[in-house]
Amino acid sequence: MRAEISFLAGCLLFAGHAAAQQSLESEYRLAGNQTVMAFEEQRQVLQTSSAVMLNGRKEIGYGIVISNDGYVLTKASEVITAADLSVTVDRTNYTGARILVVDQTWDVALVKIEASGLVPVVYAETSSVPQGTWVVSNGATSRLARRLLAGIVSAKSREIPASGGVGLGIVLKGEGETLEIAEVGDKSGAMEAGLQKGDFIVTADGKKVETSADLADVLKDRKAGNRIKITYRRKDEETTVDVLLAARAEMFHDEGNRNDQMSGDFSQRRSGFPRVMQHDILGNKSIMGGPLLDLNGKCIGMNIARANRAESFAIPVEDLKRIAAALMASPGAKP
Amino acid sequence: MEYSIHILILKILMKPFLIVLSVLLVMTGHSSAAPDARPYVNDKKAPENRKDLEVIQAALTHSLPKARSATVCLEMADGSGSGVIVSPEGLVLTAAHVTAGINRKMTVILEDGTKLPARSLGLVSDKDAAMVQILDKGPFPYVEIDKNNTTLLGDWVFSLGHSGGYDKERGSVVRIGRLVRIANMTFQSDCTLIGGDSGGPLFDLNGKLIGIHSRVGQQLQVNMHVPMHVYLENWDALQKGEFLGDGDFAKRPEKGKGFLGMATEPRKEGGLRVTKVGKSGPAEDGGVKDGDVVLKFNGTKLDSREQMQDLLKEMSEGDKVLLEILRGGSPLTLTCYLSAR
Repeated sequence: MRAEISFLAGCLLFAGHAAAQQSLESEYRLAGNQTVMAFEEQRQVLQTSSAVMLNGRKEIGYGIVISNDGYVLTKASEVITAADLSVTVDRTNYTGARILVVDQTWDVALVKIEASGLVPVVYAETSSVPQGTWVVSNGATSRLARRLLAGIVSAKSREIPASGGVGLGIVLKGEGETLEIAEVGDKSGAMEAGLQKGDFIVTADGKKVETSADLADVLKDRKAGNRIKITYRRKDEETTVDVLLAARAEMFHDEGNRNDQMSGDFSQRRSGFPRVMQHDILGNKSIMGGPLLDLNGKCIGMNIARANRAESFAIPVEDLKRIAAALMASPGAKP
Repeated sequence: MEYSIHILILKILMKPFLIVLSVLLVMTGHSSAAPDARPYVNDKKAPENRKDLEVIQAALTHSLPKARSATVCLEMADGSGSGVIVSPEGLVLTAAHVTAGINRKMTVILEDGTKLPARSLGLVSDKDAAMVQILDKGPFPYVEIDKNNTTLLGDWVFSLGHSGGYDKERGSVVRIGRLVRIANMTFQSDCTLIGGDSGGPLFDLNGKLIGIHSRVGQQLQVNMHVPMHVYLENWDALQKGEFLGDGDFAKRPEKGKGFLGMATEPRKEGGLRVTKVGKSGPAEDGGVKDGDVVLKFNGTKLDSREQMQDLLKEMSEGDKVLLEILRGGSPLTLTCYLSAR
């Protein structure tokens, strides 16, 4: 099957019937100015209670204001490498934002800015709303004003298993008959833990492993964001490290399938979530991290991944509240 | 100029007229009190307030369960697409680039995961329209077609489809949008589509079928659907299994490339004895068994293998073959559809 066809034939045909063709002005389309004006009430909530995450002057994502004194939740993998992280809430830019602690399983970071008198989001009672229910989240933004995009809840809430299973982020030499590392992925847990080409993996979580099948067996029920104890041998020395597990398909830069190619910019981390709700808000990956609002302006979830052209994922509010509470209670969150 | 951009076809390969009777028009003109009345929000340039939004939401959530129950995944040897059931007997509408040929074997998967055998009927290769028939007995859940072509520019619509293939945990995916362009052979909406959605349904807020997903542009906002009038204009020919048009969405089968999938040897008393039946081939699907004696091929008495080969040379993929068979002394007639070699 050819990947694409030119629409030339259709074009010629239409030219003869120009009068028969009608087109809706862009401001009345789903993402158009006139259409989104109906959501002004919800936009006000985004104005005061969503956060724009910036690296220098570049927008890299959104966040959710969860306290009046400057605690913000955001998508960890989009902000973690920012050298100059600042946060805009309403019309004020707060510099010197600090990432306090990260929940790797959900890819959520707790960020602190020095602020007071902020307006935190109000959580919705439940994320269990019928499919077809309106939801609203951040669209493009300007220095002073938040814009919005609207869509609907579009599929069943569910787990998104790690794409390709979880892994350490290594390529083994040969066919995996030994556990000698041939390559370490760029942004992988293995790289972060210091594994190198030529190392031999000896044990995984205390279990002796000799072949790729042994290792796969230890990994098969693990989730993305978990850590595993790996002992490796380099020359004659054995070392034990904690390695962060991630979706295998996300650790190496694959070309992507045809659906990826027609999807524009998608989130690098888009699988391995214990539970998500799905919506159809059009947008790019930098709209992730912000709140998903219902028509009451309440926070029904947190945008966590733009999976592809037609599917966006959000952490349901029930899980989000638990994650927020756990992050706030963790030692790293103490001032 | 959106038409100058490359358009991507949405079938995934796992690796991605109005023949409107004036009487009917008059009827719809006076049926505003009926349950299927046109929602007033469609006639506003844009929703103005929360009530307008809630009217859209209420209509969509009301129409969705029935629309979803009729939306199916179509699985073929080389990929998957979507479709929608439009009759209790299991007639399915889809896109021509999904079936890609006539009388092809495929599997229909219902929302709950039930798998049903099916066969493609006709297609319009230059307009991306096709039909499929479920071969099991109904009744099946189905949706009604907007036969009167009542959809107008700017109407609120929703799309369904098995994006990226069937996923039981997820179900089919619903997306909202407006009808943003109407041309002779194409609707464009801002319901975002992706591979696997091909052949899936586009509905108005009342849950009436108005289009079938065909292709997308690079921009998220460019999502193309085949309007229902293309199907209605060609309905009888599609149902009869005809290959219509010479377009890019499906390739016309080539003569001589039809394949029956059985080996034979001549029998002294006349006819050909079947010595081997190819697995899952057209002969096996038609019910031919090892040891059967083929007496007639589409009415022609057979005496030699060359004779059958000559007949096959004049036929192509999708053609129907009636075999008059002798099995254990009893005659029977079997129907086979040639596949592509």
